[in-house]
Amino acid sequence: MTYLFDRRRFNRVLGLTALSATVPTFLYKTGAILAGDAQRGIAPLPGLKDNHVLVLVQLAGGNDGLNTLIPYRDDAYYKARPKISIAADKVLKLDDRLGLHPEMVELHRLYKDGGLTIVTNVGYPNPNRSHFASMDIWETASPSHRIGRTGWIGRYFDNECTGVPGAMLGLRLGEQQALTFVGERSRTATFANPAVLDASVSRAAAKGLEKLSDIEPTGISALDFVQRTKNETRTLAQRLRSAVCDNKSPIDYPPFALCQSLKLVAQMIAAEIPTRVFYVTHGGFDTHSAQANRHAGLLQELSQALSLFQRDLKARGHLDRVLLLTFSEFGRRIEENRQAGTDHGTANVMFLLGGHVNPGIHGTPPDLGHRDEQGDLIFKIDFRAVYAGVLRDWLHADPTRVLNGKFDPAPVVKI
Amino acid sequence: MCRSPHDSPRPRNYLLALLSLLLMTITAAADQSGKPVWDVKAAGHLLSRTSFSASPEEAARLAALPLDRAVQQLLDEAAAAKPPKRPSWVRDQWINGGRRWSDMSAEEYLIILRRNSARNRAELADLKAWWLQQMMDTKAPLREQMTLFWHGHFTSGTNKVFNLSQGFYQQNETWRKYALGNFRDFLEAVTLDPAMMAYLDLERSNKTHPNENYARELMELFTLGVGNYTEKDVQEVARALTGWTLDAPPGTVIVKRPTAPDRLVFPSITREGLVPTFVPQWHDDGVKRIFGKSGRFGLKEVLDVIVAQPACGRHLAGKLIAYFGAHDPEGKLRERMAEAFRSSKYEIRPMLEVLFTAPEFYALEARGNQIKGPVRLLIGACRDLRLEVKATPTLAQFTALLGQELFNPPTVKGWPSGKSWITASTLALRCRLGEMLLDGKEITGTEPLGRQRLMALSQNPQEAAATTKRLLEIDAERAEMEKKDGIQVRFDADRLVAAKMADNPEKLVDALLERMVVTKVRSLTRLTLIDACAGVPAADRPALAIRLILASPEYQLE
Repeated sequence: MTYLFDRRRFNRVLGLTALSATVPTFLYKTGAILAGDAQRGIAPLPGLKDNHVLVLVQLAGGNDGLNTLIPYRDDAYYKARPKISIAADKVLKLDDRLGLHPEMVELHRLYKDGGLTIVTNVGYPNPNRSHFASMDIWETASPSHRIGRTGWIGRYFDNECTGVPGAMLGLRLGEQQALTFVGERSRTATFANPAVLDASVSRAAAKGLEKLSDIEPTGISALDFVQRTKNETRTLAQRLRSAVCDNKSPIDYPPFALCQSLKLVAQMIAAEIPTRVFYVTHGGFDTHSAQANRHAGLLQELSQALSLFQRDLKARGHLDRVLLLTFSEFGRRIEENRQAGTDHGTANVMFLLGGHVNPGIHGTPPDLGHRDEQGDLIFKIDFRAVYAGVLRDWLHADPTRVLNGKFDPAPVVKI
Repeated sequence: MCRSPHDSPRPRNYLLALLSLLLMTITAAADQSGKPVWDVKAAGHLLSRTSFSASPEEAARLAALPLDRAVQQLLDEAAAAKPPKRPSWVRDQWINGGRRWSDMSAEEYLIILRRNSARNRAELADLKAWWLQQMMDTKAPLREQMTLFWHGHFTSGTNKVFNLSQGFYQQNETWRKYALGNFRDFLEAVTLDPAMMAYLDLERSNKTHPNENYARELMELFTLGVGNYTEKDVQEVARALTGWTLDAPPGTVIVKRPTAPDRLVFPSITREGLVPTFVPQWHDDGVKRIFGKSGRFGLKEVLDVIVAQPACGRHLAGKLIAYFGAHDPEGKLRERMAEAFRSSKYEIRPMLEVLFTAPEFYALEARGNQIKGPVRLLIGACRDLRLEVKATPTLAQFTALLGQELFNPPTVKGWPSGKSWITASTLALRCRLGEMLLDGKEITGTEPLGRQRLMALSQNPQEAAATTKRLLEIDAERAEMEKKDGIQVRFDADRLVAAKMADNPEKLVDALLERMVVTKVRSLTRLTLIDACAGVPAADRPALAIRLILASPEYQLE
């Protein structure tokens, strides 16, 4: 049995790739970067003004913002949620009005240490309460009445990374490609566990499998798409394997999904793989019934995973290159439902951490006294203003070339 | 590894490729009257999309009939298919064996919970394998294809509904029953399907707190699509659907015993049984206004109003076109299918008749240009290779790894399709299909990065570590249990090609490509296969060629 690829053969394979007239130039260039980045001191992505990395953490299902960042002095909160509200003496207090869920111990500590940014009341006009429509709105950064088909990071890659070579500017850990990454050109990769890329085959078949990964355009769009992906996967496999093998974690992460995902992201950041934006998902937030225990577990995982990631990068000296932000498609309704859960709502809370965040609470506490016609929270900060702040101040890009419309960049990053 | 002279495409093959391109442009998919050209290739296309696999023999048999007759025959077979035999653990009358009572000690309940969860897990693992076995063995594959379509359309998933293997079996049986039937009747069965009621929280939705989850998905995903209803409609439909719950089978002696504390009201530990039951005092019988109509609507009236919306037929037609594939850029086919739906009073079969006889379905742009879903890929390979297979939980796990776990779609929207099936990791796995089907080996390196936390652990680090350790032990036991049957396949090359054909690599490769690939074969694929076969003894050639075909980009398409 032999691996399809090993280090010795890697450069020769790249040489072979360069000979093939059918491979797009950007792939050839990716190969050159991959071969060269073992040398120290070279920025992961030549052509960009900085070596920054953005990590997106999707809280899928609609996180209950009111039980995450709790207005513990507000009677209206306790009145709306007789079964599932968090008692004021249990809340981890941030100031005299707001506090975190009792399971968010680590993020509470990070906040006290000045390493956490919290943005309140984030949303958009005319909120959509469908998971899919609202998640699409967040991922595409479109107005709610006209959802676009490209993602905001996809457009950032298209418009602001034109001179930057690379087939994995975006990397998603998960099963399906993230809409956030969809652009005119596919320059992102998706996988659930890098170990699956390690196919082991008999010697007799290895040579044939190798050649099947070459490209021969057919004019059949789906077939050509599969060919390109197969070709890119061949290059990716080797790079990821060495990122994982050569960059062991200095700290222990518990064996849970988000923790392990962020552990791998930290390894890849430390390996300086040519990726600008990582995307991981923490799912299960659609708490329509019996939410108390489940939500506590979700927030505990979020808190531990984020703070371990922060400590890990700090220990490796990479925290200054990294900005992480969490987002969710919507918050939940103010009133709990009959099954001790909550239904789909509107405005919500976002968290950011990294070496250069502008720490503290941005925005005012949720205002339960002023509700929309459905009885839900009214947003105060447009999520696209947060994106604009990230684009301008972290990725050094022009937000107007990425977002549909002008948004005043939220000051979430220290300039 | 260096490029040797004979690796580069030979000039002869450029000529061949050019010739076939020319042929493709002059062979239109439809004649001048707009009717599709019906030949063996077209029959192969129809079979590939509707029947998991298209053997040359089956395509020739179908092509001998006129198109209309061939499609009728396919639909007749699907409609007439007998329901498969139930798994042995399914019961006629299901009573919840996992109840929790308030006078029960935590230890006592934990024992019951563990036993109940273990049984349910084993049954669900068996259920997935059971369904795959039906798909592999059935004489009417279209019935199973449609059941799979509806499973992705009317989703319910085990990630939200716990310990309800019986409910998921019942749902599968119901979806199969109505798969080609009347949509209005189907929709009522869907609304009152136990697993669905649990999944979308219709169970116990009450007039004081109507739960909007089912009402919203009913219109957004199941019937009309976004933009064809208002937020107010969702709230009004939710009111109309209050009062339904799941109860014990009639005649059950109800134990008079106080139920678990209110805080812990998981339906999985409080429901008595799975019989949909109407509780009048929970129903909101006030006047509702839905799509401009007012009345004291309940379940039946709401469904009548919804299916009569013009958007309903169009929404379903669009979903069917996306599933089976057709080139319909202007939406004309969708309109014709929607019309067939309306004029037949909401029958499903007439929509399929229009689709499978449409020029758009046979258009050149549609041929061999759709990415196979994971279940289609696996079942297709088993049928293509005429494998003797006993479907096991380990085999079923393969489709999950490719993103299509039966009875557990990722979201209520069901499974994505097309390009979304292909990522770096799923493609790498697809190309390893031969390890499983030819060698009978489990595929390695596929475990998830981490497990779900599900509940908060103790803030005490020692206690948390102990719980974590126990969770990992449970995971290991489960993984062992799910693997215990392994992969059970027997591959026999003689069932596909005559033994002496292996003497000639070119003939062997062409015969296998013809049998297994429906899209265009790249000349590099054909030459790679021929070269590979020429380098090994004749006896090893069929398995090697098949392994490479399974790993080729071409095999991913239908």
